[in-house]
Amino acid sequence: MVLALPAPRRRPSTRGSARGWTAAGFAAPLLVYLVLFYAYPLWRNVDLSVHDYTIRAFVQGNAEFVGLEKYAEIFASDTFTTALTNTAIFTLASILFQYAIGLALAVFFRSGFRLSTLLRAMFLVPWLLPLIVSASTWAWMLSSENGIVNSFLGAFGVPQINWLTSPDTALLAVTIANIWLGIPFNLVILHSGLQSIPGDVYEAASLDGAGPWRQFWSITFPLLRPVSAITLLLGLIYTLKVVDVIWVMTTGGPGDTSTTLAIWSYREAFGTGQPDFSPAAAVGNVLIVIALVFGFLHLQIQRRQEDS
Amino acid sequence: MHHPKRGITRPLTAGLATIAVVGGLAACSTADDAGADEAGGTYTWWDPYPQHEDGSDWANRVQACGEEAGVTIERTAYDTTALTNQALLAAQEGTSPDVILLDNPAVSTLADTGMLTTTGELGLDTSAIDENLLAAGVVDGETYGIPIGANTLSLYYNAEVLDDAGVEADSITDWDSLTAALGKVTDAGHKGITFAGIGTEEGSFQFLPWFWGAGADLRDLDSPEAVEALELWKGWLDDGYAPDSVINNSQNTVWEEFLTGDFAFAENGTWQVNSAAEAGFETGLVQLPARDGGVAPAPTGGEFIIAPVQEDTARYDVTRQIVECMTTPEGLVETANTFAYYIPPTAEGQDALLEENPDLEPWVEAVRNAKGRTSDDLGTDYPKISEALWTAVQNALSGVDTPADALSKAQADAEAATS
Amino acid sequence: MNRRPTPGASGRTWWKTALGVFFTAVMLFPVYWMFNVSLTRTSDLRADPPHWFPWAPTTEGYQAVLAQQLPALGTSLLVGLGCVVLTVVIAAPAGYAVAQLRLPGRGTLNFLLLVAQMIPAVVMAMGFYAVYVRLGLLNSVGGLIVADSTIAVPFGVLLYTAFMAGIPRELLQAARVDGANAWRTFVSVVLPLSRNSTLTVALFAFLWAWSDFIFASTLDRNGDLVPITLGIYQYIGNNTTQWNAIMATAVVASVPAAVLLVVAQRFVTAGVTAGAVKD
Repeated sequence: MVLALPAPRRRPSTRGSARGWTAAGFAAPLLVYLVLFYAYPLWRNVDLSVHDYTIRAFVQGNAEFVGLEKYAEIFASDTFTTALTNTAIFTLASILFQYAIGLALAVFFRSGFRLSTLLRAMFLVPWLLPLIVSASTWAWMLSSENGIVNSFLGAFGVPQINWLTSPDTALLAVTIANIWLGIPFNLVILHSGLQSIPGDVYEAASLDGAGPWRQFWSITFPLLRPVSAITLLLGLIYTLKVVDVIWVMTTGGPGDTSTTLAIWSYREAFGTGQPDFSPAAAVGNVLIVIALVFGFLHLQIQRRQEDS
Repeated sequence: MHHPKRGITRPLTAGLATIAVVGGLAACSTADDAGADEAGGTYTWWDPYPQHEDGSDWANRVQACGEEAGVTIERTAYDTTALTNQALLAAQEGTSPDVILLDNPAVSTLADTGMLTTTGELGLDTSAIDENLLAAGVVDGETYGIPIGANTLSLYYNAEVLDDAGVEADSITDWDSLTAALGKVTDAGHKGITFAGIGTEEGSFQFLPWFWGAGADLRDLDSPEAVEALELWKGWLDDGYAPDSVINNSQNTVWEEFLTGDFAFAENGTWQVNSAAEAGFETGLVQLPARDGGVAPAPTGGEFIIAPVQEDTARYDVTRQIVECMTTPEGLVETANTFAYYIPPTAEGQDALLEENPDLEPWVEAVRNAKGRTSDDLGTDYPKISEALWTAVQNALSGVDTPADALSKAQADAEAATS
Repeated sequence: MNRRPTPGASGRTWWKTALGVFFTAVMLFPVYWMFNVSLTRTSDLRADPPHWFPWAPTTEGYQAVLAQQLPALGTSLLVGLGCVVLTVVIAAPAGYAVAQLRLPGRGTLNFLLLVAQMIPAVVMAMGFYAVYVRLGLLNSVGGLIVADSTIAVPFGVLLYTAFMAGIPRELLQAARVDGANAWRTFVSVVLPLSRNSTLTVALFAFLWAWSDFIFASTLDRNGDLVPITLGIYQYIGNNTTQWNAIMATAVVASVPAAVLLVVAQRFVTAGVTAGAVKD
């Protein structure tokens, strides 16, 4: 969940320094916290990635310094290309469908009808459930031999699909589950974006004889563009980080067919019982760089909107 | 940044203090335990059996061995993976316990750090121990511990299903006869075989009997023999003799599937003996066949009793007595019974066990044929090789790669990881 | 925010209601399925076709939860509440400092908080693991609370800042005229006014800590006290055939989400949209 706020308004400074110290006092817990629980673990993570940490070295703290060797190793690894491609497919497919479905539902709910508020609230449920709950439910629904999805498709004569164990469908299966998880978030944000479009714009269009379809493309979609951009970027940053869903459903398998960068990092460090922290940290740091690139893009868009 | 003087920081520092105290307590307790006096003092003991709580048979047995040596044993149980970490950490801080029971593939990892005493240093006699079982604790010719028992894999069958399909259990002596039996069983409308191909150590554990049974070597993952073994598994999947679920099956899941009564065969371990006897159908056991007949070597499971190096070497005498108490023939049988059928690692212990429970004969035979995963001097390389191997199994079974391609990748990965 | 249908409109929009109900049903089908499976007998779990409705409901799944997962529920509750306290205690004064006290460097701080939220949890987990393994904080509830709070603290600070920036300065000046110092003003004026923000922050801090799997599975997987998410995961790892017990645990683990949705839905919506959309 990322939150973006306007920078606090600047006010003319009076008695600046005394006020400054008071402010620092109030902010001190946060600053200490950020140093101890953000900066330090992140620093340790960088430190891990430039040493060769075996499990023994990890505990004894005498790992050999290897510079960027681990980065070179992961870039050269077959898994890197696979994981990068999978990350791109998983992320783009997820956010596109989440957005499209979320927007369609937002427009649908915009008009308001009996029970619409209640139903819209119900849509929040998937977003509120612990990810592991949703992921295990999907895993069971998509189970090859006992899953409801195969049973349903079977009724239409579709042969058994090994959703989670076939290299052809594993990535698709986790993407479907992730789209489901992201729809509520998109719906809520886009719905409140729609609220800010004044109703008389539509009335005017209506008088000009524009049907709902035209109204959507000539009013709703253009006016919603800033909100859409932010929704998509937030979705992207969130989806890049996803571990729980994929891990519970497929552990990135079979083979590497549903392994994303985040899953790869998790698996190397914690997934095998034979922790390889150094390459895992290197993958994690690559992931941070990617997330930050889109993060800065997000901030940029935000700033431009504030200026306008 | 100016340090705050206001009360606002109090909750934070209080929070930190709590955490520090929690951490401190954990650290202190181990330090105190290990630093206790020798003669008539307290000896520390770690094992990976959190399910056996204080007051359980197992806990009482540990205490009894302490009493016999004239000391009190303070026992702490950790989860298997946590135990390895804790042991390394304690060694680093000089607070090692006197005795640890450790899963056999992890022994070489600890021995490699120099934190374990050899059996020679401790004055233990290991001549009675079966060599194939002791091998997991041998690093560079030195022995670092004694197995307290071993378990391994075998092939359970559902007698009713075999009868119905007209298959004689005795006829299964090599891969061909097994595959032929699977064909008959599936033709008769039953399910064939289930095993654990999961992408964890369990997957390698279950694959090794076939791998070794083909004559393959863990140093050479892409040998023609290895490819044949993987093709055997993959062939069963393709022919519908094994369900798709084997790709994600853990050994527990395999057993649950077998207990449904649908399957003719299930590859599983000594620890299911009781459950098999209580199944709703008649079960039996055949040895895992090697490719061309005979019994395939299955990997051994089970713990070693090891003694970390202590600053105060005077403690070793009592430690030796405790270890000896655990490894007498009677002691081994008792351990075997406490842990749902561990097979003792000595001929004498095995005979004693069979006297009590003749039904375990096939398991004793399986254990005699079994092989430590870290043996052949693989030592600390084993976990890396194993990871490459289970990945290959996953890739081949799911159809990502052919068995040959999957294994040649695995060999490349294993070489890179162990070089 | 919510448009209420006018009485006259309902006649014309009944088809929309029907469609809305249909969409909701499709969307919530997995949730229904979780509930259905949790009540299915073990022997029916592998029935083909699966039972669409638990005609012969069983509580064996829930009995397993009660027998095995109560400590895990307690741990999750403890971790969630600890996380709420830690988050509010750190975030509220910081929000005040940024919004009203013109903290020097607040622009940078804001920026850092936004960046902090983009860091993948798996990376934080590795860093924490490396730190904790040497401090002996692995498998401790305190360690897990701190790690979980890193999800909520930046969010909390940003939310408080947004709200507190809108508190009229006159109110705070009035307090100062009465002789209150910054601390008194914060406690007796700002905090009470920010009650809704506190509720939103607390709600999310709790929900995220309760739902966390990554930190729990890396920092607390061998502890005596594992949270409920790990309880579910261990079920999946150990015993994939008892899906009724897994799903029963999942249902129980979803209770806080359900309660929050019923009791505090407007705070949830506020939290989701806060700042992401500007009016």
